[in-house]
Amino acid sequence: MLKVKAGDLDRMGMLFERYNRQLYGFLFHMTYQRELSEDMVQQVFYKMLKYRHTFTGTGEYIHWMYSIARNVLKDHWRKNKQQVQHEGVEAAETIAGGLVPDEAFEKKQAKAELHRAMEKLSESQREILALSRFQELKCQEIAEILGMTEGTVKVRIHRAMQELKSIYVKMER
Amino acid sequence: MKCELYEELFTGWINKELSPEESGALERHIAGCANCREELQGLQQMWDTMGQIETPEPSANMGVKFYAMLNTYKESVNEQRSLWADIKYQVSRIWEWQPRWPMAYNLAMVVILVGAGYLFFGKSKSDDQDKQLKALSSQVHELKQTMMLALLENPSASERIRGVSYTSEIKHADKQVIDALLATLNNDPNVNVRLSTLDALTHLTGYPEVREGLIKSIVEQDSPLMQLAIADVMLKLQEKRSVTSFKELLKQKGLDNGVRDKIKQTITQLI
Repeated sequence: MLKVKAGDLDRMGMLFERYNRQLYGFLFHMTYQRELSEDMVQQVFYKMLKYRHTFTGTGEYIHWMYSIARNVLKDHWRKNKQQVQHEGVEAAETIAGGLVPDEAFEKKQAKAELHRAMEKLSESQREILALSRFQELKCQEIAEILGMTEGTVKVRIHRAMQELKSIYVKMER
Repeated sequence: MKCELYEELFTGWINKELSPEESGALERHIAGCANCREELQGLQQMWDTMGQIETPEPSANMGVKFYAMLNTYKESVNEQRSLWADIKYQVSRIWEWQPRWPMAYNLAMVVILVGAGYLFFGKSKSDDQDKQLKALSSQVHELKQTMMLALLENPSASERIRGVSYTSEIKHADKQVIDALLATLNNDPNVNVRLSTLDALTHLTGYPEVREGLIKSIVEQDSPLMQLAIADVMLKLQEKRSVTSFKELLKQKGLDNGVRDKIKQTITQLI
């Protein structure tokens, strides 16, 4: 990224190749909309180009990337508070609808329900779980991205997991 | 034991970030706390299930869009940069232009000073030079004249011819030169020397003493070649005074018949 900052814009292509899936995954778990996530990936990379001079190089590149992605998400939610669509669950259900063995079917079912439960979490809880579980970042990294202490992150992940569990249990009943 | 104290460790447990000491402490706690053991089990199960949720792959379209965006962005940056470079270049040119004005000023001063110097000193200089040049050329003239006269005294015929040929370079022949040439014309033992002397004298026919000398020398010549050549010169000059000299020549005995015919013809043409 420092090379991009110095003017070698072709390096941005390398960064895109390396991180586009990871970023897309994060944005997908935050929005559950494929097209929207793709647009947001585009927006994040555009902002990284435009504001490349703000990258100081003191922190990790991906932390910077996530903080830009979070800003893009915040902008999106501010603009579209009412309309929230969920494609992800539908996709999961269509997969589940096929002819599959019972055990596998149950697992799929559980996954789909968990997925739906996650949608009911607050955005911040979903975010911290997305970062820790789906992005598989360490608590210390999440702390850097979110600007918290590592202990706070651990407690919040725990709380989010408890909340998710209670939602999930309620849904099963 | 307060179970809340272990909340932090729960997270570390399920995402496997605990140090051996931490996991040891948590294990000891859940061994004695059924509540926590159950909760941890439930959370671990959910965490594992979450891990099975697939994240969809972005479509190929995203990459295409990204590179289109990157290229457009690069172009816009390049345009900005070239504009900047242009301005910078122009600014740097100002510094290049600055020393040119003093240089132009210097050149103008040199031209003015040279011109002024020429006007101030040119006249007196050229006067001096003219005088010097005249003195020099007259010296050269005199030198040539002396050399010619000396050469005419030379025993070698070819040297005498060379001396005669110098007279064509002498613009203003004085009496001394003309006398010397006429003497050569009449007395030189070599016909060729006399012929070239006659040739030299025809260039000096503007002087009346040359014409007179030529007419007088008609009777002096005994060589048919010289007699014919003088006849030609007289014809060219339309010198009527030479007729009497020619008639005298015709009276001479032993005159070549060809020459006699030529002289008769010349006389009739001159009259």
